[in-house]
Amino acid sequence: MRSGNAALALAAAFGWAAAELPPPAPRLVWSGPEVTLLGGPSRDGRHLSYVDAATGHLAIRDLASGRGRILTQKPAGSREFAYFSAISPDSRRVAYAWFNEEGYYDLRVVDLDGSNPRTLYRNEEAGFIQPCAWTPDSRSILTLLFRADNISQIALAPAEGGPPKVLRSLNWVYPKRMDISPDGRYIVYDSFAGESSGDRTLYLLSADGASEKKLLGAPGNYLFPLWTGKRVVYAGDRSGTMDAWELEIENGEPRGAPKLLRRDLGRILPLGITAAGDLYYGLRSGSVDVFVTTLSDPKGDARRVTLRFPGRNSMPDWSRDGKAIAYLSRRGSENFGQESRAIVIRRLDSEEERELLPKLAHLERVRWSPGGDALLASGSDNKGRGGLYLVNPETAAVRPLVSEAAASFRGFEGAWSSDGQRVLYPYHEQELRSRLVSGGSEATLYRGPRLHGLAVSPDGRWVAVGAGGKSIALIPAAAGEARLLPFDGLTELEWGRDLMAGRGAELWRIPLDGAAPLKLAGPGNRQAGFSLCPDGESIVLTAGNAKSEVWAVALK
Amino acid sequence: MTFWPLLAAAALAGADTLTIPAGLDAYLPVPGSNPLTREKVELGKRLFFDTRLSRDNTVSCATCHDPQKAFTDDRPVGAGVGGRSGDRRVPRIVNRGYGKSFFWDGRAASLEEQVLQPIQNPKEMDLTLAEAASRTGVPVEKLQQALASYVRTILSGDSPYDRYLQGDRDALTAGQRLGLRLFRGKAGCTSCHLGPNFTDERFHNTGAGRAAGDGRYAATKDPRDRGAFKTPSLREAARTPPYMHDGSLQTIEEVIDFYDKGGKPSPSLDPEIRELHLTAEEKTALAAFLQALNGKVRDGM
Repeated sequence: MRSGNAALALAAAFGWAAAELPPPAPRLVWSGPEVTLLGGPSRDGRHLSYVDAATGHLAIRDLASGRGRILTQKPAGSREFAYFSAISPDSRRVAYAWFNEEGYYDLRVVDLDGSNPRTLYRNEEAGFIQPCAWTPDSRSILTLLFRADNISQIALAPAEGGPPKVLRSLNWVYPKRMDISPDGRYIVYDSFAGESSGDRTLYLLSADGASEKKLLGAPGNYLFPLWTGKRVVYAGDRSGTMDAWELEIENGEPRGAPKLLRRDLGRILPLGITAAGDLYYGLRSGSVDVFVTTLSDPKGDARRVTLRFPGRNSMPDWSRDGKAIAYLSRRGSENFGQESRAIVIRRLDSEEERELLPKLAHLERVRWSPGGDALLASGSDNKGRGGLYLVNPETAAVRPLVSEAAASFRGFEGAWSSDGQRVLYPYHEQELRSRLVSGGSEATLYRGPRLHGLAVSPDGRWVAVGAGGKSIALIPAAAGEARLLPFDGLTELEWGRDLMAGRGAELWRIPLDGAAPLKLAGPGNRQAGFSLCPDGESIVLTAGNAKSEVWAVALK
Repeated sequence: MTFWPLLAAAALAGADTLTIPAGLDAYLPVPGSNPLTREKVELGKRLFFDTRLSRDNTVSCATCHDPQKAFTDDRPVGAGVGGRSGDRRVPRIVNRGYGKSFFWDGRAASLEEQVLQPIQNPKEMDLTLAEAASRTGVPVEKLQQALASYVRTILSGDSPYDRYLQGDRDALTAGQRLGLRLFRGKAGCTSCHLGPNFTDERFHNTGAGRAAGDGRYAATKDPRDRGAFKTPSLREAARTPPYMHDGSLQTIEEVIDFYDKGGKPSPSLDPEIRELHLTAEEKTALAAFLQALNGKVRDGM
């Protein structure tokens, strides 16, 4: 472990008075591109569970030596991966979510040495699972179930296997964090303060399901609760910054007023508290933004497009008339995977930047209609249904085009036909569908495994889609046989003067005659999301260096 | 695989426990001002079946909310004292302890608020509260708390669907599994009918029933609420026709057809209601799935 400049900066930001003894400075525990924030510390403070970013395996990091160790196994070429995890109170086992070969999540457990792996619960009706904490007796795992109908449920899963006991269902709302008291009697979780509120507050649910109460009534956004001793530690923005607070709980009742622990923790994601009282938390930092540059010299001419909220913008799309760019801009508190975003429309012929806040829970990307009168948004609505939505670029009014409970919160990828009459989308990555915007009738254009990345040629004659992770399928829009162009590792497709592909940070030009793809010199820090200007030369892309770090700070 | 017991006991005030059927939350909201006790529930059950609570001593709560019929009846609209007709279909009152508002228009905010209204409604039981207290010898507040407590214990769960959810893959037929996929997918039923109780507890205008002015509007006077009625739970629905708030549809198949056609035109039709283009096979599968929501209905402590 080491303390870095960032730690000093954070400590300075806490703003303690000169005469007071300064609180212990946070210390940087782990940094680097391999850091993921889906696990937590062991109670004894020796280990941190995490997902190995390169392989998707569950791993454990020895916090003293900094060495990591893989705990899981999977067949070569498997798409399976680990997700959230929690270490048992005796620091001997790890409960974790595992994305299985059938496309949903198991609840699994493995010993800390990698032995004795077993599946505790596997049910496609609980499509997503998040183990959050163990009961003090290690007999149950406090788990969030995300059902296929988009209900989230607070449940206790037996550590020896079997169906979880559901304590509480929450319509369309999932707690960002929950934890169980050291005596095992109470569960604390965050959820919306009211039916029409966007702010979260904390709730205390008895572990036998007998009672529940709201813990905090003051206006503000309170979330990420963790338990240590008799105190609940949580994040709150009551003062205008995201601060750490604590509230003492005795026999299920708040005792006294909340106390401010630390000011301005930044983009914090609490991971857990050790027996010694060290709060481990993830911090997201760095900057990601939207830049316009040229295909001939992508590195040379890059110019930031965004005016307000620099450093938090991504996923641009150029309008067909070349006069505007729509992009997504991060807002609100942190989340593990589902950022809160606004749509921003930047006019290029003026200094005008306009923000749209459509009534959607998540925005993954937007694409201008050919006529510029609609934005096609991939994402999910406020009932958790993923799909494609039409957003009015003037009023932000939303109209669902394709929406279903079984779709990911990221929705479906989508692309407009060149005449704007239809929208094409890969349905569950297996079937390329074409849907009439008015009327809703659908046709299937192509079937194949792992369809993703989607672009339509400007003349409307061809559709390109990544197929099977190994090639790009070139499909005649009218009818006819698809051609496969070899291309490994495709992440995105766009079609302007040429067909362009993304492969991670790289950009490639794809010749349609089957010749070898040509790699473009580009910014090495390109992130997902690019779009081509109708002039055939300009490109707008996302670039930056967002990073995650793990920090620890003593609460005592 | 080892299954948990299908029934879970929710701890309540004192030593009393309530058995929660499989599929429902262990947490059953109970107001602090009216903790659930065996004594109150037993008194509430006696009152629920007591015809003295009606003007002509012919009608009890159970007359319309028949335990043999999942606590509803089989008429299009309720029937009260002296053969008077009510305005709306008698709701199934299973799992109302999990409810957030009560009556088809949501005009009552709690079970405690709800239970006294049918007693006073001239088309239902037609008594003053003073008369009710006098006839039964139970003070109004105690009567209110006891009836609400008893209704809170009327629960439906442990259906084939619940067993399927617990991991019993054979609990649903292939047709029912297809129906479940449609329910969540193409048919879009989970837009409103979701969660353990298959309701969002919100109000929607499906176009069914009488014209504007009815429904939630009566409670809120918000024009957007014209013709909107609360989403009913679908538990025990398949065995308790007729359907909709006015009892205008006779079978589950008619209900599916109604939604397949996008409801009926209305100025404030809910945007969730649109044509579904279901095939005959898909409609059959949906109807089969709804049968899987018939479970076990229990009441009392």
